[in-house]
Amino acid sequence: MLTVTNTLDDEDKPLIDADGKRIDEWSECLTLIAQQQDRAAFTRLLRHFAPLMKDVALSGSTLSANHAHELVQEVMLKVWQKASGFDAEKAAASTWIYTIARNCRTDLYRRLQKFDTPLSAEDVSDTPDSDDAFVVLHQKRSRDRIRSLIKELPNDQAQILAKVYMEGKTHSEVSGELDLPLGTVKSRVRLALQKLQLQLER
Amino acid sequence: MSNFHPEIELITEYAAGSLPLAQAACVSIHVTHCRRCQRIAGQLTELGASLFAALEPVPVGDNQLNAVLARLDDERPLEYANKKDSASSTPAILQRLMRGDFSDLKWSNISSTLRISYLKTGDPSHEFALYHIRAGGRIPQHTHRGTEMTLILEGGFSDANGSYHKGDFLVRRPGMCTHPPRCNPRTVSAWPYSMRRSGSPTGSSAG
Ligand SMILES: [Zn+2]
Repeated sequence: MLTVTNTLDDEDKPLIDADGKRIDEWSECLTLIAQQQDRAAFTRLLRHFAPLMKDVALSGSTLSANHAHELVQEVMLKVWQKASGFDAEKAAASTWIYTIARNCRTDLYRRLQKFDTPLSAEDVSDTPDSDDAFVVLHQKRSRDRIRSLIKELPNDQAQILAKVYMEGKTHSEVSGELDLPLGTVKSRVRLALQKLQLQLER
Repeated sequence: MSNFHPEIELITEYAAGSLPLAQAACVSIHVTHCRRCQRIAGQLTELGASLFAALEPVPVGDNQLNAVLARLDDERPLEYANKKDSASSTPAILQRLMRGDFSDLKWSNISSTLRISYLKTGDPSHEFALYHIRAGGRIPQHTHRGTEMTLILEGGFSDANGSYHKGDFLVRRPGMCTHPPRCNPRTVSAWPYSMRRSGSPTGSSAG
């Protein structure tokens, strides 16, 4: 059995290429996969992201070990298959991978609940790579801010964000689970968004 | 450009992927066509990505990693859905749900000026329906027993609280008494609400 360790530090160091473009290890990997079906690049990416995905699959969910396993595999396979659609100009690799993870989780839950639907989670969710340069710019700026501020969030706010995002629960589901008034849940989310300096007004 | 948008909590749940399917579909159509909300949703998706990146990695065994590598040559799905709208002015999600054209929909008449067509999203707890109101039509008084989202696809209408136009997104919570046509107990998310200025009840289209 091999233990895979986190290489998160690498991700936080943006590299600048000859054209002054911001690249990071994962964008490079995805690009290599897209252009050359580079298995070594995919293996690196797999070793980094599968353990994060496994955390999502196990956290607060009711997934069986088998389904958690299936989810991790499915996400990673989809990253491989969809890599040609990745555009480093429009999205950060980690954001792009996160949205695949989010959508696969939702689809698996719906499959387990036997939803009969013509819509996949991807059809009805936010895309990481807008065609709108203005949106992309805002996203890039907020990414840098959020990543530098996220560790400073108070526990009570971080806990609720984790439930909403990583466990896929609505505010009212979180309110029920933590036995907190809905208003408290909402205001903690609002406070967290303020703290992370998201620009939510026009 | 719409004046009424989903509140931040809803866009957060949308970006987190935690909204029930029918609601996600409704929010998604608004966001896809609203630059303001796209910008907000983009930031809230970044938040999710940051939370994801900061997770505690859980060791994954070699056999599991190898199982993925062994599947790389699997045949891939023919095409992945592209939610970006085609040339058609009908939102892609609606096209998919309608499996055809507006003229092929089955409508039920609620009154002489109001008709409704249910679309099947597969969401077991929410209804999803198109409403069509003829110009000058009135909606019977009613109260809301469940949360109801409304997105205006075409035309507009007004109630005691204001007037609403194409692209506007409205939420009515239980007990509030306002516009949308008919609410039965299961209608948690009744849906797009299309109104034409012309009087003809046929040939309704969204845009
Ligand atoms: Zn909006």
